Amino acid sequence: MAVIVGLPLVSEDAFLADQLGKFFLYGIFALSVDLVWGYGGMFTFGQATFFGWAGYVVGMLTVREVGFLPLPFWVALPTAVAAVALLALGLGYFVFSGRLALRGVYFAVVTLAMAVLSERLANAGGDITGGQNGILFGARLGLPGLFYFDRDYGFYGLTATLLVIFYLLLRRYILSPTGLVLRGIGQNEDRVALLGYDVAAVKRRVLVMSSAIAGLAGALFHVHDGIVSPGAVGVELSTLVLLWVALGGRGTLIGPVVGAVGLSLLNARLSGTFLDTWLLVVGVVLVAVIVAFPAGLFGFLHQSRSRV
Amino acid sequence: MTVTRRELIRRGGIAGAGALLSGLLASCGDDDGGGGGSSSGEPIKIGVIADLSGPFTTYGTSLNRCAELAVKEINDAGGIMGRPIELLVEDIQTDVAVTVDKATKLVQSDNVDLVMGPIGSDANDAATKVVVENNRKLLFYTETYEGGKCFDTYFSFGAVPAQQIRPFIPFLQDEFGPRVLLFGADYVWPQRSFEIAKPIIQENGGEVVSELYLPLVAEDFSELVQALRNTQPDYVFVLYPAVWGAALKAIDDAGLSGQFGIGNIFVGDPDLPAVAELAQEMYTTLPYFTVADAPKADEFLGNFQAEFGENEIPSGGEGPPAYNAVYLYKQAVEEAESTEPDAVAEAMVGQTFNGPTGPVEMTPSHHLKQTINLVQVEGDGYKLIDSFADQDPEQDCNL
Repeated sequence: MAVIVGLPLVSEDAFLADQLGKFFLYGIFALSVDLVWGYGGMFTFGQATFFGWAGYVVGMLTVREVGFLPLPFWVALPTAVAAVALLALGLGYFVFSGRLALRGVYFAVVTLAMAVLSERLANAGGDITGGQNGILFGARLGLPGLFYFDRDYGFYGLTATLLVIFYLLLRRYILSPTGLVLRGIGQNEDRVALLGYDVAAVKRRVLVMSSAIAGLAGALFHVHDGIVSPGAVGVELSTLVLLWVALGGRGTLIGPVVGAVGLSLLNARLSGTFLDTWLLVVGVVLVAVIVAFPAGLFGFLHQSRSRV
Repeated sequence: MTVTRRELIRRGGIAGAGALLSGLLASCGDDDGGGGGSSSGEPIKIGVIADLSGPFTTYGTSLNRCAELAVKEINDAGGIMGRPIELLVEDIQTDVAVTVDKATKLVQSDNVDLVMGPIGSDANDAATKVVVENNRKLLFYTETYEGGKCFDTYFSFGAVPAQQIRPFIPFLQDEFGPRVLLFGADYVWPQRSFEIAKPIIQENGGEVVSELYLPLVAEDFSELVQALRNTQPDYVFVLYPAVWGAALKAIDDAGLSGQFGIGNIFVGDPDLPAVAELAQEMYTTLPYFTVADAPKADEFLGNFQAEFGENEIPSGGEGPPAYNAVYLYKQAVEEAESTEPDAVAEAMVGQTFNGPTGPVEMTPSHHLKQTINLVQVEGDGYKLIDSFADQDPEQDCNL
């Protein structure tokens, strides 16, 4: 963890620090996926929905001028996080409770549908979502008039701190008794249910928690970027985050963070150097790594450790 | 014993991952080029944000190639004030978020002297925010757009509605009749352009029978077909750049081909073969077509094909304007004797150039006065109908 966070201090490059700041938010986003998929065994194709809609909510609340809007950023941010958490809660009741109790591929299909629907909605949202254009933000990260996290090391410091905090919190959670139940559910839901645990309730709570984390990362990401557009809530980003997690090693926490930050850096680097072929290069690297280490880089390390 | 082996493997793994990351980082931050200085020999950096993948690939590629061609010619002739131009190209993938990313990289990390591009108006809004508003650098936008931007360091080289639409509407009405259906992709450029077109249509005694927007890359055109059936327009005015061919196919499948005229302001020569067969009643206005007769046009096309292949053709909405932009930039830097954004911006106004699109002049509104050509589809190519010289951009902007 320290290696990842400390890296840009070596280079003294403000742009790189700024870029890493964004990638750290991707890292937090990947942590949220590791929680539901890596530990809880819920394969989700729709995590970007939470990441992106949080950005949209902040955008709508801080930019639109209707009724009591626009709101200040610090009011809009918790509202956005609460909004996506509520969405997750609704989804949780819909898919985990009662007779439906979706699992595995069925849960994945529902989340995929959610991502596709979100992208369509964002595109067709007219003046509310800005359609294809998305929303350009006016808000800056910081306390108005006092100080701003604008660019450079401020933003980097903020996101690095958040990344470390969330990493430690989630680690603690995973190692706690509730975390053990979650891991149990990830391994074998039925046995955990037979032990008397309310599996649906645990899954719902985890989904809400993970959506709130993804939402916070997404809201900060888009305010910093200055724009949110339909791609933010869609399938592409939802799939990309799965790649980061799979590559780094699901169920390791550190793996997804390394996957997110490392792959994003690789992407940023290659797309400039290999203009026409960068997507191909990234694809080949991914396939190679996943074939060589099916459990991901850090999953492989864990395995070899226990094998020794 | 086992403990040390575990530790060894674990540490090895983490060190390996760390090394990978630091390698990436090191290669990221290796460039701190100088900005405003004019020490001879040090390259002038032009960043290009172009859509080299995604729905706008044709346009982005054309923009990039024409900029490349101009840069190569200028470098072969000794550069700008003895300094070579270095071109830094970034693919923005027809994606606004990527545009923000790449524009930020070019201005903050590569420290370029000028940014050119992008294609979409939505991306232009984002790039303007990053390059012009947040970083006070020069942005040269070389695509057809709705106009209306007014910033010290922002310049537009493509056509704007006053140039393309004002002379076009009366012509289309004479040709087909007064009743028009407006059909566009659902984003800023079509939306704002239609707002500007509507009063022009009314002034000329025309009538808008319907105004329809579909997603940039729509999969279903039944709404369009339905609107055409219900309103029976005399002609359709189209701003639907990415998959216009698919829309035409749907119209043809519905048996409506040829029942109305078509006017558009985006189908350049490279786009035409894909749509020509289904759009024989189509007219287009743009700054450049291969059939247009500016004195330097043939020489330009020859050089372009020598560079990129003999079957390659630049797209007239964005390619030649990008070529013009590089030459106008060269002249302005030489006049200002500096690459400092404000000095160059001041020198840009009043610059003239006679290139592939004929004589052009940068007006005080930071938009280009230029010739617009009107062409008609004939077989699988275009036929020149008319040229409107020295079209004023009519921008409400005093800088």
